[in-house]
Amino acid sequence: AASRPYANEGPAPGGRARGGAGPERAPCRPQLVGADGSAQQRLAEAVLREPKEFKISIHLAASLPLPAERDHLRPRIDLIVFIIDIKSKYSLKNVEASLAHVDASFFLGKVCFLVTGVGRVNNCSIEMNAIWKLRDTYCSPVLLCELESEKIQATTAQRLLQMLQICAGHVPGVSALTFGSLMRSSADD
Amino acid sequence: MAGIKMQSYSTGDETAEEPPISETEESTASGAVDAREELLNECESIWSQMEECQSKITLKRAEPLTESDAEISLLMMRMKALTVEFSQWQIRSPELISTNPEVLLTLGKEELWKVKEDLEKVLLTAQLRNKKIKEDFHREEQWHDEQKKILNALKETEKKMEEDIESHCQRRAFHKLKDEFFKVKAYKEELLNALGAFLEEHFPLPEKDVTAKKKKIKNSEEPATQLIALHEILENLINTLFTTPHEPYITVDDSLWPPYVELLLRCGVALRHPEDPNRIRLEAFHQ
Repeated sequence: AASRPYANEGPAPGGRARGGAGPERAPCRPQLVGADGSAQQRLAEAVLREPKEFKISIHLAASLPLPAERDHLRPRIDLIVFIIDIKSKYSLKNVEASLAHVDASFFLGKVCFLVTGVGRVNNCSIEMNAIWKLRDTYCSPVLLCELESEKIQATTAQRLLQMLQICAGHVPGVSALTFGSLMRSSADD
Repeated sequence: MAGIKMQSYSTGDETAEEPPISETEESTASGAVDAREELLNECESIWSQMEECQSKITLKRAEPLTESDAEISLLMMRMKALTVEFSQWQIRSPELISTNPEVLLTLGKEELWKVKEDLEKVLLTAQLRNKKIKEDFHREEQWHDEQKKILNALKETEKKMEEDIESHCQRRAFHKLKDEFFKVKAYKEELLNALGAFLEEHFPLPEKDVTAKKKKIKNSEEPATQLIALHEILENLINTLFTTPHEPYITVDDSLWPPYVELLLRCGVALRHPEDPNRIRLEAFHQ
């Protein structure tokens, strides 16, 4: 399972008046994990199309763990998005296997499950109970979307961007943990 | 230094827990330059603190969650992290970003503008939601009305069917009785036919050529009365018993062949009248 950095050289933040190694804002890094490569690509492109004020660098992977040879080069990941296709049982198994390799500290709000293909109810292979079990066990939010539709794709991209902003710490006063708790309590309605 | 534009730049890494700092577009007054320098210095110090914390974090080893107690350990972790965050928020008190009035003014304007935008979005969302809820409500009302109508129609149908059932029950009982009656009648016919066949076979009338011979020899005699079959004797006995139960006796005359009468009497099928030996009746097997 190789990881492909998918970097967007967006509008660079203004340089500082002084020279020297000043802090530049590091790009936000979401890591998308999912068995379906083309869906990941489309989602990544949709996220990049959205207007935003910061750089992001999307990493794609088919499953975890990421290959160990690049461990020392790997930068900090801000958000892990596990993509589950509701039409394929294999994607669920893949995600469950990958979850075992995630460091426990990520589950404090930096993990999100994205379930695609919910528009086609007659093709579901996965019970929603399994999804809710994942959500409850790992205390992480579940987003439902249908990537076939352009509008929903754009909306999902916006939601992911918002989450990413918060998880990367760009929103003062809201930490990933508090945001995760907020999403949980509203989803339980 | 004059005329250099700065774009907004905020650092809000959660490990440092420091208030955000914004550099904004400023005029070229000298006070502005000092303010800039001040802010830049603060940024540098915070950045170095952040780098320290970050290096400490990266030194920690990664610990993936185990499958068996994932939920519990995760919840414990969350609880600890939330407690820590909570205590941090408690300790923290709002700090002055800077005392420079221009900086404060621009910052204030920016904040207010953001709040205005957010509130407008919220207003729009709330209005759309209201609209949707109203539409849903109308739809539910319509559905409710339709269901009521269906319920009434079904109730009426139920009433009609109940009435039907009652009359139907009576008719059904009647039909049942009729069926039984026909069955019994058919059985009776069968029995009688079988009896008749049996009697014909085993108790035939005496041969006719005897009476014919008698006729030839003595023409002057009165023709002998025709003998009736045993079957007919029994018929007569039965009919008499059932049609006139108070007078069930029949007279023994020449049409009854005497040996058969004797047979009936001896078998107990027929009984003599107690006073008149010429009258017999059928034994009342049914009483």
